[in-house]
Amino acid sequence: MLLQLKNIFKWVNSGGQRIFLLKDINLEVAEGEFISVMGPSGSGKSTLLNVIGMLDTFDEGEYNFLDESVHTLKEKHRSNLYKEYIGFVFQSYHLLDDLTVQENLEMPLLYKKFKGSERKAMVADMLDRFNIVGKKDLFPAQLSGGQQQLVGVARALIANPKLILADEPTGNLNSQQSEEIMELFKKLNQEEGVTIIQVTHSEKNAAYGSRIINLLDGRKV
Amino acid sequence: MIKNYLKIAWRNLIRNRSFSFLNILGLSIGLAMTTLIVLWVNYELGFDRFHEKIDRLYEVNNQYEIEGEIWTWNSTPKPMAPTIKKDYPEIEKVSRYFYDNSYLFAWNDQKIKATGTMVDPDFLDMFSFPLIQGDVNSVLNDVNSVVITESFSEKLFGNQDPIGKMVKIDNRDIFKVTGILKDVPPNTHFSFEFLIPWSYLTQQGWDDKNWGNNSVATYVLLKENTDIDTFSNKIVSLRENYDKDTPDIKTLLYPYSKTYLYGEFENGVEMGGRIELIRMFGFIAIIILIIACINFMNLSTARSEKRSKEVGVRKVLGAPRKSLIGQFVGESVLITFISATFAIILVLLLLPSFNNLVERPLSLNMASIGFWMVAIGVTIFTGLLAGSYPALYLSGFKPSSVLRGTFKKVDAMVTPRKVLVILQFSVAIVLITASLIITQQLHKVQNRQLAYAKNNLIYSSLEGDMEKNYDLIKTELLESGAFTSVTKTNSPITESWSNTWGFEWEGKNGQDKTIIHRLISDDGVVNTMGLELIEGRDFDLQKYPTDSTAAILNQSALELMGFEDPIGKKIKDNGIDWHIIGVIKDFVYNSPFQKIEPMVIEGAKGWFNVIHMRMNPEVNTAQNLAVAERIFNKYNPEYPFNYEFVDAAYAKKFNDQRTTGKLANIFTLLTIFISCLGLFGLASYVAENRIKEIGVRKVLGASVGTITGLLSKDFLKLVFVSILIAIPVSWYFMSNWLEEFAFRIDISWWVYLISGGLTLIVAFVTVSFQAIKAARANPIKSLRTE
Repeated sequence: MLLQLKNIFKWVNSGGQRIFLLKDINLEVAEGEFISVMGPSGSGKSTLLNVIGMLDTFDEGEYNFLDESVHTLKEKHRSNLYKEYIGFVFQSYHLLDDLTVQENLEMPLLYKKFKGSERKAMVADMLDRFNIVGKKDLFPAQLSGGQQQLVGVARALIANPKLILADEPTGNLNSQQSEEIMELFKKLNQEEGVTIIQVTHSEKNAAYGSRIINLLDGRKV
Repeated sequence: MIKNYLKIAWRNLIRNRSFSFLNILGLSIGLAMTTLIVLWVNYELGFDRFHEKIDRLYEVNNQYEIEGEIWTWNSTPKPMAPTIKKDYPEIEKVSRYFYDNSYLFAWNDQKIKATGTMVDPDFLDMFSFPLIQGDVNSVLNDVNSVVITESFSEKLFGNQDPIGKMVKIDNRDIFKVTGILKDVPPNTHFSFEFLIPWSYLTQQGWDDKNWGNNSVATYVLLKENTDIDTFSNKIVSLRENYDKDTPDIKTLLYPYSKTYLYGEFENGVEMGGRIELIRMFGFIAIIILIIACINFMNLSTARSEKRSKEVGVRKVLGAPRKSLIGQFVGESVLITFISATFAIILVLLLLPSFNNLVERPLSLNMASIGFWMVAIGVTIFTGLLAGSYPALYLSGFKPSSVLRGTFKKVDAMVTPRKVLVILQFSVAIVLITASLIITQQLHKVQNRQLAYAKNNLIYSSLEGDMEKNYDLIKTELLESGAFTSVTKTNSPITESWSNTWGFEWEGKNGQDKTIIHRLISDDGVVNTMGLELIEGRDFDLQKYPTDSTAAILNQSALELMGFEDPIGKKIKDNGIDWHIIGVIKDFVYNSPFQKIEPMVIEGAKGWFNVIHMRMNPEVNTAQNLAVAERIFNKYNPEYPFNYEFVDAAYAKKFNDQRTTGKLANIFTLLTIFISCLGLFGLASYVAENRIKEIGVRKVLGASVGTITGLLSKDFLKLVFVSILIAIPVSWYFMSNWLEEFAFRIDISWWVYLISGGLTLIVAFVTVSFQAIKAARANPIKSLRTE
């Protein structure tokens, strides 16, 4: 068992009313799963992903990640946990414009306090694996959307996370580019056993996963 | 990690050129101005500090209560010093300092005037004016010995060895040069070029044992470990045993180290002095630096939308908040270091003109480690100050909100950024108001009715044979046609060198000790000076030989004495009965900033120091002066002809205030400039952030005008609040400042109208520049930015 959500509630108070973003979510994710989260806009997909990624808190319920109870952990401990085990991929890539491809890849390693030589080796390995060695000195603005997302995925993977959280990773890409990214996810999942949870609107992309979770108004359906 | 930060910081700098430019420009100017002020403050605070025995040196002061008011002054009777030395074992050394005077030095054919005075032999042992040649214990032992400074020695003797040379001083006695002093540094309030032993004064019969004649400075050096409080209590009643007429004048010891910066007393209480000016400018230095830092804070936080993504990504990738704070602070320190480099260049460029303005030899001591330590320390401090708030603000973003694009700036009623803008502009308005008021006050005093004609009037000091040949000189001056009127007096018309509370007149209240000033004059004083007679007549010794004991009163003196019909009335001074022959309008002498005090012009039975000459306005000045020089050289050949224009002497009285005014103007302009840099940057970011809103409004039919108004309105509101804050603050400070002057303006409401209006206009122009640019942009482009 990689993670387990039990009766998770999240709400905001607006004008004296309690609006639920997540309502009684129960979810178990085993290692090696590839899950697609689907649902209309505002159904709570991204909120759920943020809660799993520990970027957002919840108001009620229990969350266990690798036998640690996340809801009782202190902020610092929590960030150590996701730093070590989780990689994020975003719809709009979120590469840092001021850094080159190589430097973008290196950044997570800096925060994880890897040594300079180790970092170099890991970055070189990643560039090689994703076939982007020739682009290592370019800035994100000089790349196409697909290439940027490729770098985004590489960055998420570089520190060997157990779990990849991808929030509409292909939302900004054309169909050919999205296919490439989805193939990449599939390969990572099957060949390297990386657990993936993706949020998507597309039935086609969702089909890459082993399980689909549908949300509506913060509730699993 | 640090490398990574620096890289990001540097690329950020390059990428956002306009942002970097605004920041670096603002910070450079701020740092440069602060450095200049700090250099000046440091110099002023270091005044007279170089004396090794400074902690034990005291100036002897007197304190006396007159008419319920306590007066404190620092000139003492000549017998004071020997008495102190004799009576108090706590004293190690004493020295008197006769007032500085200009004397003619003659050696071979060289004749040069130099400033100096007589001191007791211990003087050089008390104060640290080191001798290059000569023995400190003996140089002033012999009556006819003189010690001169290095540069004066060069002027007089050239490269020759000065020791043992015989010089004639003031055409009177021969002195032997016994010592050479290092030049007196500019940061001491002494400024002599030579010293003569006190014994010479005694030999000439100029010394006296009169306790009523307070005319010389007395300094004492206490023995080590003397408790100053105990000793002060002991010495306070010194005069009781010696001063028969005024035994109740108190004798006080004032630390010599405080004489330059403090030393002003009001009603017996120390009231500061120059230190107030220093504090004021020190305060301004800090304010300018803070304003420059505020720019940085505002521009950085305004850019937060741009950098929020970076913060989010870094956090998601595992950056702890600490490291983000470090990164942002690092960036601001980097910017500050770049600015500091420019600031140092700016300071080096501006220093000569600044030195000119403040009349001080300030310099950047780039060779000293201390300078660099302070410079680097200040730079890091400024970087931390400027970077702290943005760093805390930016690093606090939550990745879950900034990365989803739902992140929106909170438009709260009071945000720190608004408060900072208000603070900046409040300071700017206070400074504008202050500049206006200082300028106005100066203008008012400069245009004060002098009640004498200062133009075309020159004066020379009476020296050498001039007194003896005065009648011949006068006759020839008048006959030459170059001068229309000549009068000798005891002091220049711009000053009073003599005063007393000893006048007696019919109906005087015996307790009245109001000070009355004396001007002493021979013939035609009203005519020569261009004074304005109200009644009576001028002195005329040809027609009325008794005019040598006549007197002319000014209006204030007449009011004080209260005569209904003053002409012919007798008043008594110095044992002489003076009969009043005229009354003149109050004319301005001493400080033009103060009220005019009572004055009596006494007739020719007094003493004279100065000769006034009114030039013939029909002839050009150079010719007139040439004539005067020829005549003076004829009758006083030993002395070079020197003269002073009365209007120039009068203008000098404004030097201090004019400098204050100029400094205030400069700092005001720069403060406004820096504040506007910040506003300009802020406006551009706000326009950028609202670009979509502007696009939508334009599509819906808004005109450029309404959009400009919309964008400018928010900023102008802040300036309005600043005006409201600035009015009471500046009113408080400026009425305090004006208190100093008896002759002063009233603060009028339109000063605030001007300063407020000016600030509004400048702010509006700054903001609307950006607003119009944003408003004129094609909405299709801006709407496509999503």
